[in-house]
Amino acid sequence: MLDTHPDLTSDVIFGLGWLYTILFLMNIGWTLRAYNLKLENKFLSGLAGSHIPSASVWAIYSGVLMMTALAHFTGSSSPESFVVRMPGFLKAGVDWFADPVRYFCLSIGLFVGVVMLRKQLVKPTVAWSLLNLSILFLGLSMTDYDFRLIVGKPDNVPIVGMLFILAFFTWLYFKRAVDNDQRIKDGRPLFEQEKNDKILVWPDLVYSELICMIALTAFLVLWGIALQAPLEEAANAAATPNPSKAPWYFLGLQEMLVYFDPWLAGVVLPSLILVGLAVIPYIDFNKRGNGYYSYEERKFAVLTFLFGFLPLWVAMIVLGTFLRGPNWNVFGIYEYWDVHKLEAANNKNLSDFFWLYWPTGEMLGGMPKYNPQGSAAEMVIAILVREWLGIVLVLGYFMVSPIIMALTVFRKFYVKMGFIRYMIMANLLLWMAALPIKMVLRWTVSLKYIVAIPEYFFNI
Amino acid sequence: MIGFSFKWMSQFLVRSYGLSIRAALYFFKEYEYLDSRMADDKKKLSTADILAQARAQAIGAEDSAETPSAPEAPASPETPDAPVAPSAATPQSTSDILAAARAQSGGGDAKSEKPSGSAPKGTSDILAAARAQATAGGAPAGGGAAPKSTSDILAAARAQSGQGGGGEAAAPAAKKPAAKAAVPVSDLPPVKEMVEAMKSGKTTEEVKSGPVKPKIPTKPPKSPKPAPKAKEETRRNFLVALLVSPFALAWMLLTLTGGGFVLYVARFMMPNVLVEPPSKFKIGPPTDYGFGTVATKWKSQFGVWIVNTDYNGRKMIYALASVCTHLGCTPNWLGGEQKFKCPCHGSGFYITGINFEGPAPRPLERVGIALGSDGMLEVDKSVKFQEELGQWNDSASFVEV
Repeated sequence: MLDTHPDLTSDVIFGLGWLYTILFLMNIGWTLRAYNLKLENKFLSGLAGSHIPSASVWAIYSGVLMMTALAHFTGSSSPESFVVRMPGFLKAGVDWFADPVRYFCLSIGLFVGVVMLRKQLVKPTVAWSLLNLSILFLGLSMTDYDFRLIVGKPDNVPIVGMLFILAFFTWLYFKRAVDNDQRIKDGRPLFEQEKNDKILVWPDLVYSELICMIALTAFLVLWGIALQAPLEEAANAAATPNPSKAPWYFLGLQEMLVYFDPWLAGVVLPSLILVGLAVIPYIDFNKRGNGYYSYEERKFAVLTFLFGFLPLWVAMIVLGTFLRGPNWNVFGIYEYWDVHKLEAANNKNLSDFFWLYWPTGEMLGGMPKYNPQGSAAEMVIAILVREWLGIVLVLGYFMVSPIIMALTVFRKFYVKMGFIRYMIMANLLLWMAALPIKMVLRWTVSLKYIVAIPEYFFNI
Repeated sequence: MIGFSFKWMSQFLVRSYGLSIRAALYFFKEYEYLDSRMADDKKKLSTADILAQARAQAIGAEDSAETPSAPEAPASPETPDAPVAPSAATPQSTSDILAAARAQSGGGDAKSEKPSGSAPKGTSDILAAARAQATAGGAPAGGGAAPKSTSDILAAARAQSGQGGGGEAAAPAAKKPAAKAAVPVSDLPPVKEMVEAMKSGKTTEEVKSGPVKPKIPTKPPKSPKPAPKAKEETRRNFLVALLVSPFALAWMLLTLTGGGFVLYVARFMMPNVLVEPPSKFKIGPPTDYGFGTVATKWKSQFGVWIVNTDYNGRKMIYALASVCTHLGCTPNWLGGEQKFKCPCHGSGFYITGINFEGPAPRPLERVGIALGSDGMLEVDKSVKFQEELGQWNDSASFVEV
């Protein structure tokens, strides 16, 4: 029987052979580095009670990779019986995270983990091991048909690449910051002062840029030849593609649109993101960390930015790209995109809760109704009474919580920033926090809108 | 026709822009000319010019001003090293000149030529001294207001260089300030003193004494101003008017063109012919639509679903617009789940059109439907019925079966 969705084909196995070959060559280089630096594997040395050089461990690992690559190059006669593939329990484990709540918790956990374990993560060996693990994970996952389908889409290939780039630059930041933090602690000069390798713009920098430009152009040309443009059929107003995905850089916005009304998620929040990023220099009163990397000296700024960028933007893009499937349901990366997947998403507005589900509604005599043909004033009053709780909550959120924050957690900030700057910062923070708050409310109590006035297309 | 007009208008816009740019260039050129005429001078003296002249002067002083400075040098024994240094080398840079000025003013004070007691240390001191001197000296002679800032002094210097040299009384005065420079040392005029000298040529003569050397090339007299100026004034007004009117014309034309363009856009919104499906169309007899079904056959052509179901206890046929109320995507009817599901953000609607999942804030909209006299259902997409406004009770929004 012909399998239309084969997990493994000889082409895939052959391609993976190349991947493992590249990984093997990379690790040969790493082994040589370890050999030249005469590094010692402390863990294994302690275990064996004798000196075990790090290079030997990496050499063994490289050897295994070479054997794996060779196996891929030779063992493609019967693809279905090929053994090097992602084990089922791992697939199930990864797919378990294909749920907005778990995924969000995972991304927050990763964010916290990276910040907490930064001193370990910046070690070259740890970083290299993580890179190896991620590539191995990618290679093994490629043995799954559905994963290949979603990750191998020409649309999505650059996103995978960018995730690696993002991880690298985040790592680089933490490496420099941890280094400088230690230097400041020890009273040594900063990295930027000590290793001041200033060069001339012309010719040093301009030449490097020229070379980069040429290399990147060549790369893009090759890419354009190798991967076909993801063009689709002519647009048809009556047939929206399913799933219908925005360009990758807007997938964070599209994810926000799941939780907010279009005018909020499509207009207000993007504008606030842009404006908020622009005002950072004006509301930042911390003079330290200027011109050099540092974490300890700019904890608030770094954490706020990274929280907004990594879990609230990048993770949303990843969610939209790889996990959102037909009907905007969430699918695991190894899961078949079933158009008929059922996902209970029965959402209720806060006013529904108040007037229909909680006893308060009965006590107050049911949800206020108005005669649609009646006067506008009557309608407005009825709407305000209906939505009073949501309106009070929203107003309180934006007007009372800055005061509370100024009196408690941001007491020093308030003193240093003054009223206006503090209010701007507090409101930007509150807007940023509104996204996860709304997401959590949606997941936990199926809350659709806090203030729901569909009559005037106004929903919060 | 529209296309033609559009082309014409765009060309006109481009041309009028080009015209106004050309006019602007012409205007500025003319203005520069006028300005130079008014200044009655080849060019304004900038600080750099003054410095350059000072340098040239300093070089020239070596030979030409030898005679006046030579007897002066021995006459000041209090500053033995002063004559040596400046005569040795000509100053090369501003900082040299400034340094020299400092040294010199120090020397000058030593000779107690000035009333001020302490020797000025920095540039600011020198400037202050220069100002003080200007006020002190200028009051008796010129009677003019004392300059307040460096820029004042420089401006005054420029004006002076333009007109001061030519005046009958100014002729000797212009030479006097040089003497001040020449007094303490041989030839080197400190910038500030020089600037100040130019500013108030006749004032310093009281303070300073000594041989005379013109510092700045004197210019033709500028003082008999009033008559030519009035003449120029009128000419200038005329020229400005001549030059500005193309601007006014261009802006007016631009406004008119823009206004016409806006009107045309407004006209474009009301086309004579609409190439789109009619808003009213027949969809066959009610028997085509069995109970409990959603007909999707009109979706691609007209964007409606025809639903035959139970709503509030009444069996009825109605037409739902296939536009999601969240962001306008086209949902799909999923028969298995008995719901409309939007592929963009996952909004879900029951067969009745009521929203129940995802972010859609309100139910799908109904469009008008009626049973014609020929027994055919007729859908009218030009009217909409929104549930949240209670419009679904309108008898035009459904056909009871």
